[in-house]
Amino acid sequence: MRSLRVLSGVLLATTMMPVVMAAVLADVEIPSDEASLQRGAQLATSVCLGCHGFKYLRFGNLQALGFSDEQFDSLRAGQDLDAALDSYTPADVARDLYGVVPPDLSLMAKAREGGPHHVYTLLTSYYTDESGVTDNHLLPGVRMPDVLGYSSAATPGERTELERQALDVVAFLSWAADPKVEQRERLGYFVLGYLVLFAALLYVLKRRIWARLG
Amino acid sequence: MASTLLAWINRRFPFTSFVRNELTDYPVPRNLSFWWNFGFLAGFVLLLQIVSGVFLAMHYKPDVNLAFDSVQHIMREVEYGWLIRYLHSTGASAFFAVIYLHMIRTLYYGSYRAPRELMWWSGQVLLLLIMATAFMGYLLPWGQMSYWGAQVITSLFGATPMIGEELVLWLRGDYAVGDATLNRFFALHYLVPFVLCVMVLIHLVALHHVKSSNPSGIDLAAKDNIPFHPYFTIKDLFGMVVFAVMFFAVVFFAPETFIEEANNVPADPLQTPPHIVPEWYFLPFYAILRAIPDTLGGAAAMTVSVLIFAAMPLLDRSSLPGGARYRPVYRAMFYLFVMDVLVLGYLGTQAPEAWVVVVGRVATIIYFSIFLLLPWVSKIEERWLRRRGLPTALQATMASERRQKASGV
Ligand code: HEC
Repeated sequence: MRSLRVLSGVLLATTMMPVVMAAVLADVEIPSDEASLQRGAQLATSVCLGCHGFKYLRFGNLQALGFSDEQFDSLRAGQDLDAALDSYTPADVARDLYGVVPPDLSLMAKAREGGPHHVYTLLTSYYTDESGVTDNHLLPGVRMPDVLGYSSAATPGERTELERQALDVVAFLSWAADPKVEQRERLGYFVLGYLVLFAALLYVLKRRIWARLG
Repeated sequence: MASTLLAWINRRFPFTSFVRNELTDYPVPRNLSFWWNFGFLAGFVLLLQIVSGVFLAMHYKPDVNLAFDSVQHIMREVEYGWLIRYLHSTGASAFFAVIYLHMIRTLYYGSYRAPRELMWWSGQVLLLLIMATAFMGYLLPWGQMSYWGAQVITSLFGATPMIGEELVLWLRGDYAVGDATLNRFFALHYLVPFVLCVMVLIHLVALHHVKSSNPSGIDLAAKDNIPFHPYFTIKDLFGMVVFAVMFFAVVFFAPETFIEEANNVPADPLQTPPHIVPEWYFLPFYAILRAIPDTLGGAAAMTVSVLIFAAMPLLDRSSLPGGARYRPVYRAMFYLFVMDVLVLGYLGTQAPEAWVVVVGRVATIIYFSIFLLLPWVSKIEERWLRRRGLPTALQATMASERRQKASGV
């Protein structure tokens, strides 16, 4: 009887798990179109870069996002193409200000369970309670301020706009964590197509060779 | 010209006779199913790992301050570095998948039995070497999971009676996993695969001496054997390309499947991740480790759970040919074992809450009971089967093979 209860516990736990996860992290589609990525890059360099670095990205890498020359020049703000996207706030200053060095964001979209959904949920989970204290539902007590101003959004329209901004930033973070995704998948279709054809040919050849055995 | 050269070589090196004996005339049972493809595939993955590994080593830096960055350098700046790295990281998982399937085949069909015990035992050594290589390789990206996984597993050696503490220090080269550990793991991770190659050679020499087993479990008469080339060269090649389709689908479209999120965070000795999980291929053994409340007992049980496979030729006392195919009780035990390992694997991913521990203990007891009860079960099963009469299909094959062998065909 006891073991039966344990077994049903196991089954219940396995079926419940995805439901719980989905309830915590927002279930949104992360865009990957050029316009979203460009807006995301602009937000990331103007907002997030204030505290966080993207040390594995260079300004030159951002050219891959298809900016016009003027857009790119304003984004780059005179930085060298080879310069890494380092934070404007040095690590020791950030530690004094926040009690922690804000983590590097280059790999953030792959560094938390749920990846980009984690970051999106984080950015859109700020709230202010009656006593006027701002906190976060996803990570209570998080030392990052509400940088998009989600907790002070007054109207549903404002909130929707901030959610779109969060999506754009997250789209950019996903790209930053995996900038070769396009090259990789393009090559992938080619390689898989080739291999499937090759397998079909080998199958025919194998049938023929084995047919000799009668 | 070519024939003169060949004659020159053949006087000094048995080239032609080698090709004839081991390839064009090497006899292989014609009834092998696709389950006999995995040995060849394991060899292919080994080669893939060595080639991709050598290229990674050209750009990787085994230094606690540079290791994580050098992996990102490979991913972002080295031409096709992402491909080399994903081949290698996916290859590790593919290696275990192929090896486990190869072992499952051997267990199901009883291929570990006489005269193939040395194949099974050299295979056991190969498994241990692959596990050691994978464990050391996992430290190299120097992510959080790399660091804490190595920290946890090396600390297990501390449970060794008497010399525990010295042993841990000797393994790590320092009081905690650090630069010394990273350097030695890199050196050994590069070395062991070549030892593995030697072991593979021994495995193959034994194979070509005892020849392949086959699904019937009976050594077939000459007429049921066909030359390796061209029949199995084409079959293995076809199997390899089918495998490659699946493998490259992961490499190109889901390469992060086997990379833990926490391992994309650089190692931080001051911050323990909430929940340390080993790679999937260690999960069942890890669950056995955790099922036992005592560290020494847990470490011992985990070690035995890997080594116990070697005892199979001794534990299986049945003299009936074949493995599970003609033996219903053994077959039931086989499927129970596979399911039990899957349950253990799942438990290995879970935080050790009360129910995980309870189920883990039950599954651990089942795991070992299957091995330890086998001597009696296999004897009793055989007696029962002989009394009831062997399956007619088996009797017919045995009789016809005996007749053919007697008349020399
Ligand atoms: C005013 C400084 C500041 C700005 C601007 C800022 N952050 Fe942060 N961020 C922090 C600090 C501080 C932390 C560390 C929080 C902690 O550990 O409690 C942090 C942590 C994070 C984390 C990690 C949360 C986790 O799961 O541990 C993410 C993701 C993040 N920030 C994303 C962003 C993004 C995206 C932006 C730009 C839209 C941004 N941040 C802008 C200060 C900032």
